[in-house]
Parts: sequence; C-alpha cells; structure tokens
Amino acid sequence: MKLKALLIGLGLVASAAHAHNLVPGAPQSGPILLQGGTIHTVTQGRLDSADLLFVDGKIVAVGENLQIPEGTTVIDIQGQHVYPGIIALDTTLGIIEIPAIRATVDTNEVGNFTPEVMAHHAFNADSEIIPTIRYNGVTHAQVVPQGPLVRGQSSLMKLDSWNWRDGIEASPNGMHVTWPRTGLNTSPWERRTPEQQRNTQQEQREQLQQLFATAKVYHEARESGAQTRVDQRWEAMRSLFKGEQKLFVHADDRRQIEQILAFNEAYGFELVIMGGRDAWMMADELAAADVSVVFGAAYGLPSRVDEAYDSAFSTPKLLADAGVNFAIAYPGFWDVRNLAFAAGNAVAYGLDYDQAIAAITYGPAQILGVADRLGSIEAGKQATFIVSSGDVLDHLGQDIQHMFIDGRAIDLSNRHWQLYQKYQERIVE
Amino acid sequence: MMRISTKQSLLLAGTSLLAFSVAAGAPQDQTTPVQGLHHHNPNLIAFTNATLITEPGTQIENATLVIENGAIRSIERNNRAPSGARVIDASGYTIYPGFIDPYSNYGVEQPGRATNRGRSSAPVYSNQREGGNASNAAIHAEKNWVDTFKPDSSQARNYLQQGFTTVQSARLDGIFRGRATTVSLADTLPNTAVYQTRTQHFGSFDKGSSPQQYPQSLMGSIALIRQTLADASWYQDAAGKQASNGQVEFNAALAALQNLQRSGMVFHTTNEQNLLRAHQVFSQFEIPVTYVGSGFEYARLDDVKATGAALILPMSFPAAPELSDQFAELDVSLANLRHWERAPGNPAALANANVRFAFTMNGLEKPQDFWPNVRKAVQHGLSKDRALAALTTQAAEIAGVAEQSGKLAAGYRADLVISRGDLFADGEIVSVWTQGHENSFKPMHPVDFNGNWTVSGFAPAQGEAAFSVKVTASNRLQVELSADDKKVRASNARQDDEQLRFAVNLEEFGHQGVYRFSFKHQSQGQLSGTVQTAAGEVVTITALANDDNESSSAPSTANDRQAVSYISDLTYPNVAFGRDALPEQKNLHIRNATVWTADDQGVLENTDIIVRNGLIHRIGENLSTPRGYEVIDASGMHITPGIIDEHSHIAISQGVNEGTEAITAEVRIGDVVNPDDIHIYRSLAGGTTIAHLLHGSANPIGGQGQAIKLRWGANAEGLKFKETPPTIKMALGENVKQSNWGELYTVRYPQTRMGVAKLIQDAFQQAREYEAEHQAYERMSRAEKRRMAPPRRDYRMETLLQILKSERHTHVHSYVASEVLALMDVVEQQGFRIHTFTHILEGYKVAKEIAEHGARASSFADWWAFKIEAFDAIPQNACLMMEQGVHTSINSDSNDLQRRLNTEAAKSVRYCGMSENDALKMITLHPAEQLEIADYVGSITVGKHADLVFWNHHPLSAYAQVQQTWIEGRKYFDRQDDLAMRERVAAERTALIQKVLGAGEEAQQGHRNGFREEQPTWHCEDQFDVWNQWYSAEHAHGHSHHGFGGAH
Repeated sequence: MKLKALLIGLGLVASAAHAHNLVPGAPQSGPILLQGGTIHTVTQGRLDSADLLFVDGKIVAVGENLQIPEGTTVIDIQGQHVYPGIIALDTTLGIIEIPAIRATVDTNEVGNFTPEVMAHHAFNADSEIIPTIRYNGVTHAQVVPQGPLVRGQSSLMKLDSWNWRDGIEASPNGMHVTWPRTGLNTSPWERRTPEQQRNTQQEQREQLQQLFATAKVYHEARESGAQTRVDQRWEAMRSLFKGEQKLFVHADDRRQIEQILAFNEAYGFELVIMGGRDAWMMADELAAADVSVVFGAAYGLPSRVDEAYDSAFSTPKLLADAGVNFAIAYPGFWDVRNLAFAAGNAVAYGLDYDQAIAAITYGPAQILGVADRLGSIEAGKQATFIVSSGDVLDHLGQDIQHMFIDGRAIDLSNRHWQLYQKYQERIVE
Repeated sequence: MMRISTKQSLLLAGTSLLAFSVAAGAPQDQTTPVQGLHHHNPNLIAFTNATLITEPGTQIENATLVIENGAIRSIERNNRAPSGARVIDASGYTIYPGFIDPYSNYGVEQPGRATNRGRSSAPVYSNQREGGNASNAAIHAEKNWVDTFKPDSSQARNYLQQGFTTVQSARLDGIFRGRATTVSLADTLPNTAVYQTRTQHFGSFDKGSSPQQYPQSLMGSIALIRQTLADASWYQDAAGKQASNGQVEFNAALAALQNLQRSGMVFHTTNEQNLLRAHQVFSQFEIPVTYVGSGFEYARLDDVKATGAALILPMSFPAAPELSDQFAELDVSLANLRHWERAPGNPAALANANVRFAFTMNGLEKPQDFWPNVRKAVQHGLSKDRALAALTTQAAEIAGVAEQSGKLAAGYRADLVISRGDLFADGEIVSVWTQGHENSFKPMHPVDFNGNWTVSGFAPAQGEAAFSVKVTASNRLQVELSADDKKVRASNARQDDEQLRFAVNLEEFGHQGVYRFSFKHQSQGQLSGTVQTAAGEVVTITALANDDNESSSAPSTANDRQAVSYISDLTYPNVAFGRDALPEQKNLHIRNATVWTADDQGVLENTDIIVRNGLIHRIGENLSTPRGYEVIDASGMHITPGIIDEHSHIAISQGVNEGTEAITAEVRIGDVVNPDDIHIYRSLAGGTTIAHLLHGSANPIGGQGQAIKLRWGANAEGLKFKETPPTIKMALGENVKQSNWGELYTVRYPQTRMGVAKLIQDAFQQAREYEAEHQAYERMSRAEKRRMAPPRRDYRMETLLQILKSERHTHVHSYVASEVLALMDVVEQQGFRIHTFTHILEGYKVAKEIAEHGARASSFADWWAFKIEAFDAIPQNACLMMEQGVHTSINSDSNDLQRRLNTEAAKSVRYCGMSENDALKMITLHPAEQLEIADYVGSITVGKHADLVFWNHHPLSAYAQVQQTWIEGRKYFDRQDDLAMRERVAAERTALIQKVLGAGEEAQQGHRNGFREEQPTWHCEDQFDVWNQWYSAEHAHGHSHHGFGGAH
C-alpha cells in the first residue's frame, strides 16, 4: 500500500480537525506559480511542461518562461496535471444531508408551483458532504430545488465558504421546471391504466401551460402598471420574461423534449434540457435549435429494456458529434464526487478526451453564464483550478494535490479522510 | 323449495322456452316431496340427420342421436328415430359433446379482495382461527366447494353461450383453495347438477384475500406450499398421536390434503416461469398437477413439455400495444410485440410438442371472445381435433368426468352442442343441451329473408316498375325498397316470429305516408305478406326471389386455414438481445494477451491461455496450438477472470424480500430465479460472470441465496452455479428494526439493535433444540414410535440448523460497529462463525475483531450518507479491512454497478492506494472465497473454469471497455456481435410495429393487459407485497437520477 506516500503528497491534512471544523481558504496573499505541469486550458488546448501564474485570485499568465513577480511562491508540479475546477450541475449539495432523516432534507417545497424558492437560502456551507466532493476536484456546484412541476431557482455555489452568502458564485441562475412525464409507467405497482396515465400527463401539461400564460399576463401587467399587488410566485417568474434567467427543464424522454421545444416556440426563453436521456435520438434537432443539454446519466442504465447496453454511456459522444452544446452532470449529492469518472466513462465509449474535460468545466460554465470567469485556464480568469498527480478522469490517475478557488488554497481534508486517519491509529496500536 | 315452484311456473308459462319445458322432465327431483300434481313430461328425444362428432377425430354423418332422462341412449346410424320420441331434424347441423371447462369458479361464493394494505394500515401477522383451519389465511384446503355449490343461471349463461355444459369449480382464492367439484351448468337442483362431488384441489401462488403479511413474495408462497405439503405428510403419521409438547392438534387443512397425491391439483400460473417453479415444488412431493397456463408456454416449450403435466389454457390473447401516437413505441418492448404476434400460436406449439391441454374461459375479459380466439388458435396451426379435445376429452380427464362427459356415446350425459357449420372455422352455436334440456340461442331452421325480392300485389303509384325489396343481414338487418332508380331505406326492420317486418315512407314513390310491411316464407323463393297503408288499409302481397339470390347463409371461407407466418424471432430468453441457442463450448488458444491472473502469478505480459473443455488448461508464453483449437489473437488485450458479485438482486421474480416475519430462513431465492432479466446480459457486457443473488434486508434472518453464472439464454436451472455451497442472507440495523417503515410498523420484534441480537440468539437456540427433538425421536423404540408422533419437519428450523453446522454460509447485511460486534458475540456463543459481512460500512472500525472472528467482508466502494447508519462510511474501508487481514470484496447491490465493478474496485486504488492486483482480487478471487467457489473460479489458474473477460484497456481504468466475456469456454458476450444484434433488434421492432399499425383496429382486439408483468429493479430494502400490490421503499439514496440504479 502507498498510504504514507499519499499522506505526504496531500500536505494539507496534517491537522486532525473534524470535517466541520475545516477552515475556508484564506484570500490569496501573494503571487503563486505552478511550475512545469501539463495544463489543460480547455479553451487554448493542452500545454505540456507549462507554468501558471496567478495573483490576487486571478490568472495572470499561462505558458513557458513566464515573468515571475517578486515574492512569488513557486510550487513544483512536474508530471502533474492542471485542470479548471470541476463544475457540478444539477446537484442538491448543501440542501440535503441524510435523506432518511427528514429534518436534514431541504429539497422540496410544498406544492407543484414554487418558482419563488431559491436553493441557496437552504445551503449549508458546513455540510459534511461538501468537503468529500471537493476531494475529487469539484470546486463549484449548481444547487437545484427539487419538485414535481415548477421547482424554483438554482444557484451556483463555491464549495468552500463560511456561509452561503460568501459562497455564491452566481445567483439566482436558473428557473427549474420538471416537465410532466410522457410515456407509461409499467411497473407492477402502477394501478392506473395507460389511458388514465395519459390523461394525467395531459392535465399536467395543460396546468403548466396555464401557469406560464398567467405569468406572462402578470409580467406585462406589472410592466404597464396595471398590476400593483405583488405575488411572490408570479414575481419570481418575471425573471424569465425579462431574460434574466434561463429556463432549465428537467426531461429525459424524447417526447418530453419535443414538447418542450414546441412550448418554447411561444416564449423564446433561453433553454437548457436537464437530464436528456433520449437526447441522442434527436441530437441533430437539438443542435439545430441551439438548445443546451445537461446530460445526467453518463453512468445510466439503458432507459428501456430494448436499448443497447451502452446507450447512456455513448450519449455524450453522439451529442458531441452532432454539435450539441452539452455538459455532463452527476445529479445527486454525496455521489457527485464521481462526476469526473463519469466523464471518463464517456471517453471509454468514444467521447474525445478534451471534450470530456470541457463537459465538466467550460461546458457547465457556459450553460450557467459564467464562462467569462470560470471553466477554463486563461489569463484574466478566476484562479480556480485543481492539480492532480494523474489523469483526473481515471480512477487510476486522479489524485488531487491542490485546489484553488479564486486563488484561495482549499483544504482537501474531509470526514472520510479524517476517519481514515483516526482508524489507522488503531492499526498502529 | 322455492326453486322448484319457479320452474313449474316456467313450465306453465310455455312461452318461447318451449323446448326447455318439454325436456324438463329430467330426474332432477328424487328426494323432494311433490307438491300438487306429478309431472311426467315425455323426455325421449331423437336428433335425426345429424353430423355427429362423437369425439375428436370421429365424425358420423346422417346419424340419429337419441337422448332420454338426461343421458345419451343411443347413436343410430340408420337414421331412424325410436317411436315415441320427439324428433328434431338436425340435417345440416353438427352435434358436438358439451364442452367442459376444468377451471372455473361457477356457483361458489366469491371472495372479497384484501383491501390494499401497505404502510397505511397496521400489519396483520396471524390468521383468525376457527374450526381447525390453517395458521395461514391463504390456506383453505379444508374447503370442499361442493358443500356450498349453488347453480347460478346468469353465470351459467356466459358459459352456455360458448358451448360449455360442465365446469370444474372452486373458489379461486388463496394458495390452497380447497377441493373443486365438477358440475353441470344446467339450471337444476345442485343435487342433480353435481357430476363429481370432489375432484382436484385448486391452488395458486397468490394469497388472494388473505390479509396476513406472510407471504408477501413469490418465494414466500413457494416456501409456504413446500412447508404445507411436508406438514400434510407429517400429519398423516402424527394425527392422533402424542407429540413432545402434547397431543397432536386437529388440523382440518392438513387432514384435507392427505390424499393430494391421488386427487391431484389444478394450479394456476401467470407465466411459464411460474409453471416451472410450481412444478419444482410439487414434483418433489409427487403431487400430480395440472397447470392453468398463461399463454407464455411457447417461450420455454421444452421445459414445459418436460414437466409431463397437462395444462389448462386460457383462450385469451393480448391486444397489441397502443402505437398510434408518434413514438408511442418508446413504451413498448420487443418482448411484448413478439408476444402479441405469437400468443395465438401457443396452443399449436404445445400441441406439436404433444403436451395435453384443455381450454378455459377463465382469464377472458369478454366471454364472447372465446370462439374468435379458438379460431385464431386454429389459424395459427392448432388442428381442429386437438382444439375439440381441449374442450371435451382432455377437459373431461382433468375434471374427473371422462366416464360421463366429453363424448357422444351411449350412457354419457346428454350434454350437447348443436352448431350450424364447423365451429372451428365459422360455425355458430344454435343451442346447447344440458342434461337433455335445451338452451336455445338461435332458431334451428331460421327463416332467411336475405336477398332481393320483387313484390307483386302492390306497386308504386308512379312509374312502371314493381317494388324491389333488398334484405341484408350482416350485422344488422337492413331493408331497402326500390323501384326504377329510386331507393328508400326502411325503418324499424326486424325479423321475429319468423316474419320480416319493416316500415317505409313511400312518398318518394307517390304514395302518401308510411306503409308497414310484413312478410313470411310461403315456399322456396316465395314470400307472402301484407302491407298496411297509411290509411290503415291492408293489402295482401307476395314477393318472388330474384334469380341472383345466393343460397342462404353462404359460409365465408376467408379465414379458413390461412397459414400464419411470423416476422418475430423466438429467442432464449424471448426478449431483445435473447439468443437463438446457447453458445457453443470451444477449445481455445488465446494468444499474446496481458493476463491478470488474480492469483499469485500476478500480471503476465505476452501470455497465452489454452482453454480445454471449459477449463483453463495451460498458461504460458508462446504455446503451440493444439489441433482443432480455435486461435484468438489477443494482442493488445487485457484478460481478467470473470467478475464475481457477492451481492446482487438481478434476475429475481416477484419480490426480493419476504419482509413479513422476522425470520424467514425457509424462503429461497433459488425458487424465483428469473432467466429473462436483461440485466444478466448487461452485466456480462460489464465483465461480470457470477452473481450471488441475495434476499433483501427486511428481516434479521431473511432467505436463502442463490449464486448464478450469467449464462444468458439458459433457463433458471441452467443459470444456477450448482457447485456453490448453500448461503443465506441475514441483516442488522435500521432495515430490520423497521426504522423507516412508518408509525404502524412498530410491533414486530425486534425494534432495536438489542432485540436483533437476542432474536438471532433465540433462533439458533431453537434450531439446536429442534435437532435434539428429532434425534430423540430417532432413538425411540418401534413401540414408542407407534404412540409418539414424529417431530414435524420445519424448513425454517432446518435452515437455521444448517447455518449452525456451517453447512450454509451467512452473508450479513450490516453497517455499524456495535451491531457487528453483537452478532459475532451471539453466534460465537452458539458455536459458529459469520461467514461474510456484506455492506459492513463500519467494518474499518472493527476490522481486527472481524479478522479474529474469521469472517470476510464485502462492501460498497464509496456509498454513504443515505441514512444515519451510513454516515460513517468511508471509501477507504476496503483498504483498512484488507490491511488488517479481512478478505474483502466490492459488491454492487445494484444492476447498474454490477456492470462496472472494475472501476468500483479501482476506487480503492484512488482513495487509499491499494495495489492494483489486490483491487482486482476484490472483484474476482475474494468474492469467490466468500462464496466458497474459489476452487472453480475467481482467478486465471490452471484447472479453474475458463470464465474470462477481454478488455481493450487496463481493466481497472475508466477507459476499459469489455470486448468479450466467456463462461466455461462459451462466449456469452462479444461487443462486435452486440453491435450486429442492435441492428437486428431495431429491424425486428420496426417490422412488428408496422404489423401492428397495419392491422389497425383488429390489433386492438384482445386482452388489454395481456403482457408479462415487468419485473422492477429490486433493492435490498424494497417491500413489495406482490399479491396485494403495495409497494414501499426508502428510495432516498441520491441514486434516483439513474432512474434504475439503487441502493442497499
């Protein structure tokens, strides 16, 4: 075993603090140079044996033979890889801790029309889960309310903060809708007939149409001054009509996606499909419509019994080939740490390696409208990146040595690492 | 005797039921005192000039059938009626023996259905006891359904209209349903209707109206049947004797099952797998069983044939899936499309395999679909003789009335079906006779007005031409009156009392108002009648047939013997990606691979493997190819042993948990292996070759496990890895103490970890005492044994005893340190060791103790946080346990992860630097050890099974993709073949979808829910009462996004 070697490599976990006592990284105090690594810039290609200089939380220069300011801390990263911080889309990080304990669950508000709720209001910066996610290279997460129809608004959170306020990277940054199910539930405990199921689906679609129609009327009445009373729900919906937020629609079935495209013809919202299991069936259509897809099942089982065993695995490649603007997500909470591996699995099934990296960095940044500062390694952007001693997408390579968010060095310790250390003490005994 | 007087009033009324009343003198009334006059109606009847189908394959033309007093007196070939007989001219008619339905609930009280229980109602753990009934509410074996049988004329009518005269009947409720009776459908006294008082016992897997928790799963039902049959045999020896704990109880249910081997059983099944499962149990007890089939038997025809059992087939075929909306096919599986096409061919397939069967109306949504479906079966290749046998002789055998019903022969019951035409082509039943009484549905010699007629005696007021009457009666009687080129449709056209009547407004023809017509047959081709004018005047008229009239009721031969051809494939299993046949076993020379042996040889570069007769024969460099061996160039490939999953819930039918009683050690996953599960194939595509199928974790001692090799295409028995020693699932913690089952589930012991430990201790103590009791009995003298009852065989205790003796290995669902230590304490006191802890998320905290105890561990790579007992789980768990000498494996507990255990193992390389060789062992050699099959599998070692996986990349890497998976020298997965198969699946789907769409409305006829129940993804904690269909699980593990993935 190479446990000891690992311990030394991390260098950040010498303290025996408990996970909830982890201290957020301090603001960058002086210039730092990462020297001699392989830099995956994402937007500017891959640079071997290159340096990366950042100052005051911003990237200053990337390349060879950089001019180094006085007082620069130099970190030798020869043989290691630098990537932009991984951005996890479609998560419930910080708003759920232990699903079996209701008191720790802040994901679903009452009712099926709750556009007013904002995920960051419940975001627990001290969640025990979050540090375990950082450990696998994730620096940011989109936190999304759950629910059956109009769920509410998501925020992009830095995964290292004192509280949600200083953790916000972008907020609110999306209105989330669960598209009514199409297709039939065929499980043995479904008691409704296909006809009843279709009727319910139809009713839900009509309800959704009605909600958007009313929201539009409300918005226009507010604009014209005709509506003076404020309704939190309709007020929240106005951000869509003002173009302040994108519309994220959670949908997997191709019939749902087709319905969404048709629905949006009337509204012209900036649209993101979340989930998108069947997106491979209509990749050309999605590319032509310029609709982004956040593919949520990179490790998914086939959606249907007759589908090829790798239909989910090979979806990212098919989306890339068709020119769809897409990202890979790993919806969930504790298991979001597998996001990079899921992108690696897409490579095993045909996706180009650099596209796979982009699908968890720059792609998400674009979809969330923060690509001007996050998601790639370029001068002028945030100093948010990770250093791995090996290939971050591969279990055999990933080993995060350093993480910086806005130039702040992040503690990579976590509950697991600490319990691991604690019980190693017992072996020594 | 209200019943009798009702009949008498009917007799007197003498309306259209004339035929019935004449025959009503049958001896229905032998012990009841007569009130009023004694009736002696003549009851000798002769059917002359008939075509008699006396039994399948035997047809007599121009014969006379004589019946008297409800029985057949004779069949006369000379076509003469005995004097004094009422003669019925049956020329042009065919007479069949009355049909027999051997699976019916006619005339017995119907059960209530248990209300949908679930977590919203309090659990019921015991049965209401009365009169010596069984302890389980699904057992009604003591019922003799003849005791409460009452004729029911409205229910009878549904049968009679289809030609049935006799049914074997019992209440269709529960597992042991009681003993059936075979009765006539005649509207008579029950005393007279009974043909065979007590026939076969009826049974099924479905607990029906029982409100009791146990059994909630298919395997629970099977275990209950097995225990009940053993109990019945014990009761035979024990009844009336002294047991160790007092006099042997009276048990009416067990007493009733004493002669089951003689009476036999009719057992209802819902698919061919359940038929085979039932047969496994009943054949063990040598019970002769007739299975009520499902229509799926063709899918495993050889296996069904091998049971040697007769079947009762519902004549119900599925309606096609709804496909008219765009992309509706996304909800439709190839398996269902195939079944839609082939289901009507099931009877023919069985007949060709020489399986005996009868038909039943049971399972039909609409009785009137019966004959169209029989004809459909005939179109699909079933011979008419076999079809008739299924309705007569075969059915009579099953119903225990072969000596009196099912044939036309002297002495047999006068139960007859009279049809116009061949019933198996396009004939129609005109009447059905029960015990010599007619039930008339259509007139025997109907007056036929169809055709064109020219009227004389009454003409249009204008023009030269006479009136023409055109009568058509395809679906509805229609009459059109025309003259010259004018046509008027008559209203109110109807035919009754052998008269054609209609009314027409004749203004078009120059008459004023509506005229009413009436015609009757005068002679061949001539009608006579009257017309009542608008003024009320009556004019006598006649009508002559036009020359172009077809002879009456021209039979259509359109649907006769049109050879049916199928576009669907029939594969094993009969689903997408099924195989045409099992792959051939090959002798192989695999060349130049990187071989990951998972044994002490480590990783061998540029190495050859010789596979012979399914075993690894040689491993080495540059080996020479033995003659006749197939060479595989594996340059650039990595080869590992097949992956073994210690904890899987794939390939299980109808429930993973018998989560009702706290100990259910008697239930067996091996009873419910589902060879049709696509996850077998998907897991092969991920390099897995062996899965240990485990019972869920809802009770401290759950059910017995079953290791399978993923031999996709084999049947359930063929999947079983028989070399594996017996195993069992145990469980600790939140699930077994019902922490998340809701407020009503707080009564079952145990509700705490304290109680879990004690309950388990008690169970094993009882098992010891059980053994002692059996041993004490064995030691008794013969004289003592005559007095003393033998101890009852208890499968639950027997299983626990096997555990005690380390003949059955425990796999214990466990999470936290305290419960693990407690269990090890308890079992050490009982003198045995836990074999393998599974999940064991806090194993790292007590690894030293586990190692000292001698147990092994099988864990998740990185799951945590989904409940409080998983909050201290860490991804370094495997490393810490391995480091302290606990042989550890990584399991999936998920049909998703079972496809990628290689990278799950790699997580220990990632999180705690485990060596790659050790990581590989965690999914090969170590799980083999945990199943005690390491002598056969788990590494690439000479002498072991050639279970091999070919990878295109380092096998622990995220980039590795399985290229081929072999089991014992047979190639079960090949990525190139898979790519080709996708095309084939897509093409077949497209063709079948087009066939459904092309068939239009016709495709929608049939049973609306006629497809196989889909088996869900089972999770450890899934609570599903498959009989009452309520479902509950704590599905909050952060896995929902996989849709199908799941957890522990």
